[in-house]
Amino acid sequence: MPQDRQHDRFGALKRAIRQCNVVITVGLYTASMPFAYGMFAVLCFLWRKDERRRAQRLQRVTAFAYRSMHRWLTWLRITRFDHRQPLSGLPSGPCVVIANHPTLMDITSITAVLGSGTTVVKPALYRRRMIGPLLVGAGHVEGPGADPISTGRVVDEVVRRLAWGMPAIIFPEGTRSPPGGFQRFGRLAFEVACRARVPLVSLTVRCEPVYLSKEVPLFRPAHPTPRLGLGVLAVDDPAVVDHDSRRLRQLAEERYHSWLRELVPPSDRAYDPAAEEPECQIRSKTV
Amino acid sequence: MSDQIEDRLKKLIVDTLALEDVDPASIETDAPLFGEGLGLDSIDALELALAIHKDFGVRTKENDEKNREYYYSVASLAQFIRDKQAEAAAADPA
Repeated sequence: MPQDRQHDRFGALKRAIRQCNVVITVGLYTASMPFAYGMFAVLCFLWRKDERRRAQRLQRVTAFAYRSMHRWLTWLRITRFDHRQPLSGLPSGPCVVIANHPTLMDITSITAVLGSGTTVVKPALYRRRMIGPLLVGAGHVEGPGADPISTGRVVDEVVRRLAWGMPAIIFPEGTRSPPGGFQRFGRLAFEVACRARVPLVSLTVRCEPVYLSKEVPLFRPAHPTPRLGLGVLAVDDPAVVDHDSRRLRQLAEERYHSWLRELVPPSDRAYDPAAEEPECQIRSKTV
Repeated sequence: MSDQIEDRLKKLIVDTLALEDVDPASIETDAPLFGEGLGLDSIDALELALAIHKDFGVRTKENDEKNREYYYSVASLAQFIRDKQAEAAAADPA
């Protein structure tokens, strides 16, 4: 069909333009990185007197940077994301925010929307000499790594950040979600919500077509323009499950699996063991 | 004596972590506790470490690279407890 061929040609052209835009963006970001790094380091030093206020201010700076980045990416049609999209039902105070992790852009989009947030960072990244002090300054927490006992320190640190009034953003899968499925959820986020007695916000992240997943790298942008969207799946009060993090995890995990079942046709779904288990009997209360 | 620690540990795991459907006798001594084995997670490890401290008087140090080895199975955990108890006995012979 000639019309299809023309469509393909335009598709290939658009893809090539987008690829050029990605190269330009990476170049610009690499060139401006020393300046941005210097600015952040100076602010981190200037605001060093009060640990809590420094973290709150630096998180706002980070959120501003992420919003600017998403505006730029939208303008260049590399991805589409509007951080002003309303997320109804978000609690006004501190909360634990969990989300699926389909792309590397989910943390930037969630932070852009929330305006602040502490995260749990991999020890290998946290201990880098250049980045570590900035992560500490912005109130992020070093992850547990290989030692299971150090999880206690992580839980205490995140609970402390929540007491400062900031949300904690945790990906319970620990790594990016496989296409059309989930990794098994860890219990850290749920334990933190139960101990701090703050609401657990379950967010959904959709990126269609998928981009910056493990399968689709940076320099192979998807076509058509990937559209990034966030949604609130539920807000749970841990009191509903008597502050039992196991039950809270089960509740959240089943909710994500049923969301996925509604979203993805069975043929495209990854193996989902939860789909074979009986429905959870726990009832949730929206707070 | 040596099997006693393993048996006590199995009961401790079931009681502490409220594993309602698991019979302590069904836990294999050499099977991994985490991941594909009994399916425990890092928060379970933390609760277990506190229970071991309470029951056996053995403290698990944080940020010890060997913790992963110690907490691998009931057998490795029992060996860890035995070693620590022997160390404590050697340090305080009275």
